[in-house]
Amino acid sequence: MLWIGIHLPALSLESFIATLAPEPAGEHEAGEDPDDIDRMHDNVGPVALIDRHRVVAANAAARECGVRRGQKRATALGLAPHTRVGEADAARDEAALMAVAHVAMGFTPSVSLGGDHVVLAEVHASLRYFGGLPRLLQRLRAELAPLGHALHLACAPTAQGAQWMATGGERTDLARTKAEWRARVGAVPVTRMAAAAPHLATLESLGLATAAHLWKQPRAGLTRRFGGQLLADIDRALGDLADPRPMLQPAPTFDSRLELFMRADDSAALLTGAAVLLNRLTAWALARHGLVGGFELRLHHESRRRMLDDPSARTTVLEIGLGEPVSDTAHLHSLLRERLQRLPLAASVIEMSLHCHAITPGAPPNTELFPSAASVGEGWHRLLERFEARLGAHNIQRLQPVADHRPERATALRPGTDTTALCARGPGTPLDLTAPGGPAASASPDPAHWPRIKRPVWLLRQPQPLREQAGTPLLGGQPLWLVAGPERIEAGWWDGGYSARDYFIAQDNDGALLWVYRFRRAPEVGEAGWYLQGRFG
Amino acid sequence: MSSPSSLLPLEHLHPALWRAHQLGRGREAVQPSGYAALDAQLPGGGWPQRAITELLLTHAGWGEIRLLAPALARVGAAGRGVLLLGPPAEPCAEALAQLGLDLSRCVVVRGDDLLWPLEQALRSGQVGAVIAWAPASLKGEALRRLQLAAQSHEGPAFVVRAESAAAHPSPAPLRLALAGAGPDALAVRLLKRRGPALEDPVLLALPPVLSRTARQRALTPRRTRTSVQAWSALA
Repeated sequence: MLWIGIHLPALSLESFIATLAPEPAGEHEAGEDPDDIDRMHDNVGPVALIDRHRVVAANAAARECGVRRGQKRATALGLAPHTRVGEADAARDEAALMAVAHVAMGFTPSVSLGGDHVVLAEVHASLRYFGGLPRLLQRLRAELAPLGHALHLACAPTAQGAQWMATGGERTDLARTKAEWRARVGAVPVTRMAAAAPHLATLESLGLATAAHLWKQPRAGLTRRFGGQLLADIDRALGDLADPRPMLQPAPTFDSRLELFMRADDSAALLTGAAVLLNRLTAWALARHGLVGGFELRLHHESRRRMLDDPSARTTVLEIGLGEPVSDTAHLHSLLRERLQRLPLAASVIEMSLHCHAITPGAPPNTELFPSAASVGEGWHRLLERFEARLGAHNIQRLQPVADHRPERATALRPGTDTTALCARGPGTPLDLTAPGGPAASASPDPAHWPRIKRPVWLLRQPQPLREQAGTPLLGGQPLWLVAGPERIEAGWWDGGYSARDYFIAQDNDGALLWVYRFRRAPEVGEAGWYLQGRFG
Repeated sequence: MSSPSSLLPLEHLHPALWRAHQLGRGREAVQPSGYAALDAQLPGGGWPQRAITELLLTHAGWGEIRLLAPALARVGAAGRGVLLLGPPAEPCAEALAQLGLDLSRCVVVRGDDLLWPLEQALRSGQVGAVIAWAPASLKGEALRRLQLAAQSHEGPAFVVRAESAAAHPSPAPLRLALAGAGPDALAVRLLKRRGPALEDPVLLALPPVLSRTARQRALTPRRTRTSVQAWSALA
C-alpha cells in the first residue's frame, strides 16, 4: 500500500480568495514551491477569514498589518482597514476540496477524504503506469496547479500515516524499514491527532507530547482516560490495525457554484470566477476519465424590484456546446470569453454556477512535437468553435449540395461546427456530381480541360430583375449577349415552390459570364422578363 | 530507421525544424496555382504561403474562384480546411464541388466584422487556405496586421479587394489585378511581386463554363473587340 496525503493548509483562505476579483487564485502557479503558502496571495491585498466573529485565517498581507488568528473582527479591521473580511464557509471549502479529490481520481480509483482538508489517495497500483513515484508526484502537482492551492504532499504506507505526515508538511520520501516508519509515527505530535483534540490540556499536563509517548503507556489506562480512538489511530498509522476507507466516486453530472464576494459587472470579473469553475470542471472530467462535450453557465443576477415579477430574468443561462469534446481548460476558457464579451448583462452578477452532463469517455489526445493530421483537424474544429462563440452559429456555415434542380434550393447551409459527415445525395439524384476529389484529382492537370462547370459559383440571394430592350436583357445599361442555353429547369410542383424557368449563360460587355433566366410563361404586364441569377466566379 | 542520426542532418527531418545556430531557413513554401503560365511568373512558382495575396477586381464573377480552384482543391485533398470569409453572394455547393473543393472542409463565415475571424484564422495556423472579401473600408494598417498574422499561416491567404485599392500601397508581397479576357479566360496583371515588374498581363484559360460551340459563338468579332477594349482600359 502506498498512500499519498494531499494537505491543503490554506484551503479556506484560498477558496475565499477565489471569489474575489480581480486576481483569481487559479492563475497563480502553486505547487512549484509548496512551502511558500502566502506568496501567491500577495497581490490580492490583505484578506482575512472570520468564523464566529474571530479571525481564523489571514494572508501574508494581512499578517504584516498585525492581523492574527483569534482577533475580533473589529480589531482586525482597526489594524488593517483595507482588509477584505469574509465568512468561513464549510460548503465552499468542500467544493474546492472535491476538485482536488477529482484530480487525484485521475490517478487512482482509491481516493478518500481524511479530516482537516486532506485528500488521501492509494496509488500503489498506479505506480507502474505513471512511471514511478517521482513522476506520478510531478504529474499530480502539475494537474493540481491550475486549482491554485498551496499543497503539502506526503507519502506513507498507511492512510492514517499519510494524513498525519501531510498535515505536518511536505514529506515525500518513503520510510525504508518498518523501524524507520515506526520512528516517524512516533514523532507525530498529539496536536495533529484528531482524536486527541478534546484532551490536549490533559495530555500536556501528563507530559505526553508525541505518539511514541502514548504507546509507551499502559494501553488499558490510556483507553480508560481518552477513549479507544486515540490508540486505534496510532495502530492504524503503524499498520497494526486494518483501516478500510470509503472510496469517493465522482458524481455522474457536474454542478458547482461560486458565490462572488463582489458583484461582477463586466466580463473580466465574470471570467475570473468562471475560470475557477472551469478548473473544477476539468478536474471532474479527469476523475471521470472523460472529455467535456459542453456545459452550461448560469449567472445569477442581483435581484431588483423590476425583476421580482419575472423570476426567469434573475438568471442568465449560457450554453456552450463543443463540436469535439475536449479536456483543455484553456480552450473552454477562450470559448467562454468570446461568449461573455458579447453578452449584455441585465444586472450585476452575484453568483454563478456551472453545470455539465455532457461527458464523453475517452483519453485526452497525445501532445505531439510536429503537427499531425489529427492535431490539425482538432485545431480547425477549435477555431470554428471560437468563431461560433463570438459570431453566432448562424454566421458559420457549411455548404451541402441537395438533390434539387432549383438553384435556390440546391445548396443547404448547416452550422459550421456540425461535424457529422455531409450525407451523400439520395437515390434518384437528378444532377450528377463529380466524384469526391473533383476534377483536380481525376481529370487533366490543365484546368482548361476540366469538365464543363454547369453552375455559377455565385448565386444571388434574390434574382435581380433586368430591364429589357428589344428582347435583349440589359445590365447596367449594357446589353447582355446570350451565348448558351436555354436550359429549362421546371420543378417543385410537388412542394408548392413550382418554378419553370429557361436559363441562359450570358456575356456582358467586359466578357464576364452571367447566369440569367426568364420564365417559361409570358411575363405579365409590369413584370420583368429577364432575371439575373448568378455569376460564374 | 536504422541509419544513425549523424548521417541525416536534423534539419532535413521537417521543414519547421532548424538548429539554433542556423537562421530560420524561411524556405519559401508555395502552393502551385495549377496554371503553368501563372506559376512561371509567380515568385517561387506558386501562391505564396505565410503571406497575404491581394486579388483586385472590379466586381465578383470574373472567374476568381475558378482561378483559385486548383490550389483550393489541393488544400482540401491534403485534409485541411478552406475558409471563405464574407463572400459577395451565396456560394453554390454544386459548382464548388465540381471545381474540386472538398465541401466537408469548406466553411463560410459571415458577419459584420470579418477582420477578427480573418486574423484569428491566419494566426492559428490551422487553416489550409483563406479567401476573404475585404470591405471597402479596409485600412492599410489592418492589412499590415493581417500580413503579420499570416506569418503563422501555412497556406495561401487571399484578400479580394476592389480595383480602386490598386492606387494605394499595400504590405502584401503579391498583388494581382484580375479582369476578363473573353469567355472562360482571365487576364491576370501582376501589380506587385518579389521580382522584376511584368508589363503584360498573363492570359489564363479557366475551367470552362461554355461548351466549344458556345465559346465560338461568344468569340464572334464583336465580342473580341469588346474584350480587347476591356484590356486596353486595364493597361
